[in-house]
Amino acid sequence: MAAAIETKSLTKTYKLRNGKVNVVDKLDLYVEEGEIFGFLGPNGAGKTTTIKMLLGIIYPTSGEAKVLGKEAGDINTHRIISYLPEKPYYYEYMTGMEILKFYGSLFGINDPAKFQSLLERVNLAGDAGKPISAYSKGMQQRIGLAQSLLNDPRLLFLDEPTGGLDPIAHIEIRDLILQFREEGKTVFISSHALSDVERICDRVAIINKGVIARQGKLDELLRGGRIEVIADQVPADFPAKLKDLKVTSSYNNARLILDIDEEEDVNGVLDSLRSAKAHIVSVIPRRKKLEDLFLETVKNVSEKRTTTMSGAAQ
Amino acid sequence: MKQIWSIAATTLGEAIRRRVLLVILLVGVVFIAIAPGLGVLSARSETTVLRSMLLGIIQMTSAVIAVVLTVYMIPNEIERRTIYTILSKPVQRWQFLLGKYFGAVLSLAVMMALMTGVLCIAYWIQQGYNAQGLQDLLKAPVMFFVQMCLLAAIGLFFSTFVSPLVNFFLSGGLYLLGSTFSLLFQDMLANPNAPGVAKMIATVVNVIVPNFAYYNIQNPIINPQVVIQDEFQNYVKIMAYGVAYIGALLVAGILIFDRREV
Repeated sequence: MAAAIETKSLTKTYKLRNGKVNVVDKLDLYVEEGEIFGFLGPNGAGKTTTIKMLLGIIYPTSGEAKVLGKEAGDINTHRIISYLPEKPYYYEYMTGMEILKFYGSLFGINDPAKFQSLLERVNLAGDAGKPISAYSKGMQQRIGLAQSLLNDPRLLFLDEPTGGLDPIAHIEIRDLILQFREEGKTVFISSHALSDVERICDRVAIINKGVIARQGKLDELLRGGRIEVIADQVPADFPAKLKDLKVTSSYNNARLILDIDEEEDVNGVLDSLRSAKAHIVSVIPRRKKLEDLFLETVKNVSEKRTTTMSGAAQ
Repeated sequence: MKQIWSIAATTLGEAIRRRVLLVILLVGVVFIAIAPGLGVLSARSETTVLRSMLLGIIQMTSAVIAVVLTVYMIPNEIERRTIYTILSKPVQRWQFLLGKYFGAVLSLAVMMALMTGVLCIAYWIQQGYNAQGLQDLLKAPVMFFVQMCLLAAIGLFFSTFVSPLVNFFLSGGLYLLGSTFSLLFQDMLANPNAPGVAKMIATVVNVIVPNFAYYNIQNPIINPQVVIQDEFQNYVKIMAYGVAYIGALLVAGILIFDRREV
């Protein structure tokens, strides 16, 4: 699979009065074409700065960034990508239709039928004649998505696309993003909505203080949680045999429910259950939650930084 | 080209809806409309006072509009994040900046045309129909328009790297300096007895600060006994001077904006 986005040691340094700060620090990112990629991190982690560098709106201090095989900021690449900024603002005097006409004109597109179909796609056909100032936040976000689809992009950058939306608007935007994947588009989402990311993203990267702390397939990153085993007709003395394992158990009416911490212990437990003539009802790997992974990652990075800084101070 | 025109048209659409600009324009129009009634307060010839007042109001109102219009131009786009959606499209930064400038010029043209229209009506009511008088009078707004295009270029140039407040004082200051002191500096350069340091300062100021006074052609219009020699040639020359200055300012603005973090 070709790379939609590839960065190597991408760094952005800002000069402050009391020194320099690396807002993005040696970032290595790889996003495949056709996937939905979640770019996660707490506020101030460097997410928006990274997106701006990928779009060529700001310039990296060092490192490389390629978007769809070309240097970031290449004007020809801008014909096949699109961007929805966080809390977008549009010229408020314009109507929804005028917004599409304006952004369309920047691509040389003047196709009223296309504008109409985009408005229908984002459920704004009935409000096309209203000025943007009369649009709710969800409607503004939807017109933002419509403008980002004008050029039928191969790659979409969505910065907090569901931020501050009510649950219905939230679900509508999420469903639209899922449709993009079906159409073969690559979607790069920066978001705080972890439940959405967990539901729609193929791969994620977690960035904290400008550094990528984790990156990979969501399934792989969330693997390694507990494994739940349920068995019936278990002899009453069986739970006592598990005391040396990292296992949480509950036994009631010959039904045993086990939560096994270590994957390598599972086969041994299952063999023991079979030897005890127990009936194994289910073996379910319980995935970690993205929220737990996110918190754990962010906490680890913060602790490492604190340790490094205090070490340097000594 | 399409992109520049789209951005210019959008800038015009925004400008003619900006309340602060509309209030300034309204004040200008009201003053132009009531100017004929104020002539009686002066001891000088009514025609002289009326012409002087009408042209003065147009010039001052247009200058305030040009500065207010341009000082917020780039900072507002960045603050409201509209620039991000535009620059993420196939739009080069120079196209964006030129679009904003031409939008400002269009806005000035619309607003100055409105004031000039009211001026013609006010003049007509006061003086009766006088085609030659009107024709002479209208030369000034045309030159003021070139002057305001130059002022707008200065405002836009500074808006690529300074805050609106600083820009307001810089652009306004340069306008005042270029309008009132340019002749003084030119006299200094022409004076063989002027000290060397003064001449050097005068040369630097003459090059850096555009001479807005060139466009203040109201004197021969207000006082018909004053005659401009080679009038047409003179107008062409000062227009070319304005266009050259505007070009230089836009190129400098583009160079700065091209590397600017937005």
